[in-house]
Amino acid sequence: MKKLLFAFQLIALASIFVVQAKAQVIVIANPGVKASEVSKNDLKDVFTGASTTLGGASVVPILLKAGTAHEEFLQAYIGKNDTAYRAGWRSLVFSGQATMPKSVDGDAAVVEFVAHNNGAIGYISKSSPHDGVKVLTVR
Amino acid sequence: MKLTSLRWIAGIWLAAFAVPLCTHAQEFKIGSREVQVHGFGTQGYVKTNDNNWLTMNTSGDGSGAFTDMGLNMGMQINSKLRIGGQFYDRKLGKLGDWEPLMDWAMVDYHPKPWLGFRAGKVKTVLGLFTDSQDMDFANTFALLPQSVYPIDLRDSTIAHEGGDIYGREKLAHNLGSIAYTAYGGRRADNMNSGYPYLLTGYGIKLTSYGGPVFGGDFRWNPPVHGLTVGISRLNEMITGRGSYNGEAGVPAQPNYWEKSKHDWTNQFYGRLVKEKFHAESEYRRYLRDQTIFSGLSWVETDVRGWYVGGGYTINKWIEAGSYYSHYRINPSGGAGVASSYPDAQLHDYDKVVTAKFTVNKYTYFKVEGHFMDGNGTALYPAGFYANVNSNGFADNTNALVVRTGVSF
Repeated sequence: MKKLLFAFQLIALASIFVVQAKAQVIVIANPGVKASEVSKNDLKDVFTGASTTLGGASVVPILLKAGTAHEEFLQAYIGKNDTAYRAGWRSLVFSGQATMPKSVDGDAAVVEFVAHNNGAIGYISKSSPHDGVKVLTVR
Repeated sequence: MKLTSLRWIAGIWLAAFAVPLCTHAQEFKIGSREVQVHGFGTQGYVKTNDNNWLTMNTSGDGSGAFTDMGLNMGMQINSKLRIGGQFYDRKLGKLGDWEPLMDWAMVDYHPKPWLGFRAGKVKTVLGLFTDSQDMDFANTFALLPQSVYPIDLRDSTIAHEGGDIYGREKLAHNLGSIAYTAYGGRRADNMNSGYPYLLTGYGIKLTSYGGPVFGGDFRWNPPVHGLTVGISRLNEMITGRGSYNGEAGVPAQPNYWEKSKHDWTNQFYGRLVKEKFHAESEYRRYLRDQTIFSGLSWVETDVRGWYVGGGYTINKWIEAGSYYSHYRINPSGGAGVASSYPDAQLHDYDKVVTAKFTVNKYTYFKVEGHFMDGNGTALYPAGFYANVNSNGFADNTNALVVRTGVSF
């Protein structure tokens, strides 16, 4: 019984870490994007090239080139590592179905791009400044 | 392994490590608009215990005559309009012959999620992987299941000159989403492809092969996360022209032609992707009924292929996979066409295991084993060609395939 209790405690502890990991990334959008929340599936569709719209309006995803926020975003919302994720995009590019989303260095560059481009949607660390953009709630 | 193959492999690996240093070269600007440049290249080596495979001299020392590459440029004009194109070049044994091809080049106008248009030379959507079969970096396997995606017949389904209408729509009541593509145009095969090469063994030298095509694809992503099911259809009216030297017993014809009476493909498919795991299965039936020898004879081949396979990503460097590929052909024909075949020539059942090693985000290599029962050599290309197997065919073949590649 003690072992079982210990296992539950471990799972609960792990869950807290998972939730915290997800909470470290926020999804931001240009203030012109009408949606204020997005489902996890819709977010995945936009960031994997399966969809180019959110709530009926065109959106343009922007990616971080690397870093903790990038890895956490892929893990939490896409379910792939960076290599597999970019291979998926390149597959779309080489079959003529899409152009690769812009990738930038650092949260500030994401915020800058999202703030100044209609329909832009990106992700950054929760702790990074994000004036001039709106934060989307991920359902 | 021949020295030239080793040079290619060395070149690709050098490129793989050079690419990260020059990623800024992936884009440039025309006016205020960004042009993206992407590319890929692969080098393979194939060794068989018997039968030369895929037009390479794979028995004996094996063959490294298995190279392909693509260079892609694309520009997003605005949120609805995009243009792009891609060159493709390959050497696969006797096929390809390093002749650079315009793989696709098109304008894409996508005004609504449920309505888009593509025009130009467009990749053909047929099943799960026809339009992405060259993207070796994205596939688990070094060779896709050859019963459905024969690499020697790549040209026959890869693209059409014409247009597509396509779209995607979410369904109400949480029923998932659907996507469709309808297309029409013309197919024009390269003369360094598998079918023209097969015909040289019968004394026929084609100078052109192609004709009108039309078809469609419909796929559904049901509420089950990661699941896709779909159906594709392709209709073709193909005409081949060239010359024939009388080698097959029918009188010689300097102005040889052959023409489709019926030529269609049906494909049904399903795929499940769950985090580190993926599984897929497809069934393709290809019926081809042709007038040959300039109207003096006919041939019909009814090919039914299917496979079931999957893969699992063990860690960020290693993925393991396996598939079973089932090919069966039912051939018949008139004058100049053999009337019966041993069973080994009517089927090819291929059991495959593979391991894919990811070196970095640009580079990978794969090691794959094929265990083939039958050679499927009756009347239509299925990987094994009499042209490079002058001593006849063994019933079964085992093959080792090693393939490495880079993409950026």
